[in-house]
Amino acid sequence: MKRGLHVLDPAETPDQEWQERVATLQRTMAAQGIDVALVYGDVSRSDDLAYLTNLCLYWNEGVLAIPADGSVTFLTKLSLRVQNWMRASSKVTEFSGGKNFAELVAKYLVGRKNGTLGLVDAALWPADVAGEIVATVPGWEVRRLDGLVREQRLVPSATETELLRAAGRILDDAAAKATVEGSTAGSRVETVERALRGGGFLDLYPSSLSTSDGVTSFGVTGQYRMHWVHASRVLGDGVGWPGVLQDALSAAISAARTGATVGSLAEAAAPALAKLPDGAEAEVRWVNQADLSTGGEFRAQDPAAVLADGEAGAVSVEVAFADGGNAAVAETVRVTEGEPEHLTGAQR
Amino acid sequence: MTIDHAPAPAGAALSAEDRAELRLRHGKIRDAMADQGLDVVLAYGPAWRRENIRYFTDVTPAGSAALVVLPAEGDAVAFSTRPSDLTAFTAQGWVGEARRLDPANPAELGVVLKELAPRRIGIAHHELVPLVLMETIRAAAPAAEVVPATKLLDTARLVKSEWELARMRRSAVVCAAGWEAFVDVLEPGLPEYRIVAEVEARLKNLGAEDNFMLIASGRDEVRGMTPPGDRLLEAGDMVRTELTPKMDGYWLQICRSAVVGKADDGQRKSFDLFNEAVEAGISVVRPGVTAHEVAVAENDVFRKYGYGEYCTSQYTRVRGHGHGLHLDETPIIEGNHTVLPENSVFIIHPNTYTPLAGYHVLGDPVRVTGDGCEVLITTERKLFETGDVA
Repeated sequence: MKRGLHVLDPAETPDQEWQERVATLQRTMAAQGIDVALVYGDVSRSDDLAYLTNLCLYWNEGVLAIPADGSVTFLTKLSLRVQNWMRASSKVTEFSGGKNFAELVAKYLVGRKNGTLGLVDAALWPADVAGEIVATVPGWEVRRLDGLVREQRLVPSATETELLRAAGRILDDAAAKATVEGSTAGSRVETVERALRGGGFLDLYPSSLSTSDGVTSFGVTGQYRMHWVHASRVLGDGVGWPGVLQDALSAAISAARTGATVGSLAEAAAPALAKLPDGAEAEVRWVNQADLSTGGEFRAQDPAAVLADGEAGAVSVEVAFADGGNAAVAETVRVTEGEPEHLTGAQR
Repeated sequence: MTIDHAPAPAGAALSAEDRAELRLRHGKIRDAMADQGLDVVLAYGPAWRRENIRYFTDVTPAGSAALVVLPAEGDAVAFSTRPSDLTAFTAQGWVGEARRLDPANPAELGVVLKELAPRRIGIAHHELVPLVLMETIRAAAPAAEVVPATKLLDTARLVKSEWELARMRRSAVVCAAGWEAFVDVLEPGLPEYRIVAEVEARLKNLGAEDNFMLIASGRDEVRGMTPPGDRLLEAGDMVRTELTPKMDGYWLQICRSAVVGKADDGQRKSFDLFNEAVEAGISVVRPGVTAHEVAVAENDVFRKYGYGEYCTSQYTRVRGHGHGLHLDETPIIEGNHTVLPENSVFIIHPNTYTPLAGYHVLGDPVRVTGDGCEVLITTERKLFETGDVA
């Protein structure tokens, strides 16, 4: 849960960049004939909201209304006293509070000429909320949109890249400390909680996997400001199949270059993965940092997707063994035309 | 969220206690299903609302979305977006089968529903099911009536079994340790977020799976509770927290405030007011009491001293709330006439702003007993002061 440091620092992200993020979305809306776009978020998936506003949904749900022209309004079920905190820690100046999003949307649209209302990333909206909005705004065409905000986030800006680098350094150090010889399940999580939250992370998700031969892999996904990084490492001396996994990950990372396809990462890892024990099923994944809050699980892995210059994400190799054990290795990298830049990992 | 699971043989037998608990749960749900004419209950759990998934599986999945399908007869089937969760589900053994949930193509869910051919489906957290899944559900069972079943599950979870109470008592021990860690670290110059880091570290070392925590520091200007900022503590600050660790799936909350150094008169008066309100709330708890009655008892103390306006939504939210597999179950608030039966668990916390010392938090979790209530934590209810800081 989002219970770590939340700040709005103009030295990290200047006003002009905040304005340009909204303006870019508004240009896309204009090109698609959208008069008002709505972005939904909840405590577990709110990065689009944070990207446009620096809002932190530490609890509950929210909807951001973006007009084709003008400033954004946050529609919230939270009370006025929390809105004051949100006003102080975000770029939002206009709030509208109430118990029902459809009623808030209807109230927001009062006085506006009927037009087209777009639901950003519509497939992931709660069906009830979407249905209630449609029923509450007769005269408006409600259109399902793709992930317009996510698409803007796929290649980070220079300021975002600097934040990702900072995040990667902190997470890498924490992961290294947590996976020293003799660590326990409790000590590993204790270490990353202290190091990451103490280092200014807002959110983090440690996870452990194990196999029947007693090998543990320990992973951490963490959010620093609004950016996510991930690393997962197998504990031990790397002898046997863990070494094979690491070879596969190294090969996949090396293949993550500008213009490469996601499928080519798996192809690069395949020779190493062929050495895994019989019955093991391995999956090589690329998850853009924009999707790491949900582990990339709301996006299908498209082998034909092409990696863009400057794109940052986690390369992972996940294995399910025939006897039910699981293991995973992963690092976060930034794609370049040459060797990828390691944001986490030993080669950083 | 941490899941540390070793693989177990397929079909591993549950212990006698686990089997009895599973039967109890299925019995409760199926009785309600029969009352409501439901052929299937489908529990949906996005990452922030997984209480019903845990109720059916005794697993908190790591995946971003999970589902459990419980037919009127037969085993439940669990789904998760994360493959390693499927191992966890089957290793735990509370469901008969575990399948991958692919939000981009949730065909496997459709297959299961088509096989069941339900006429009436109840969905717990219906209000959170994304369009892509709802359309799959409707396509797989086009003739079925689909209705919300959130309340059905909330009601089933309200009364805790002895099996559950044993787990909640473990959470209570961790609550106390978390508060000790909180007080231990307070000193002038420490940023708020570092307090959280130290508390989280202590809780996780003790085995907590998660923790929900709000915090605020300062004096009478503090009006609410949020995630931490980079504000540095100063001598004389009151530092407040709602601290809610989760052990074995069960959340329990402690609310306390501490002063960095020695408390001033306003802070002491504030504590006395809030302590009297907590005691008033505790004093009315008995089987059959309503959430409304508990809230009135707390608020009457504020009204008695002329602070009644600070019990309104302008300054606060609720006078407490239920606990269990979700941390914020039935709200303790005036107007909520939900009956709190024996073995329900909730926190009594009259947390609000007053001009005495700013936002103050104080509260204890309680279990409704046959003749009153049991306070579940041992932490002393007092205004904590740190060291000898002037």
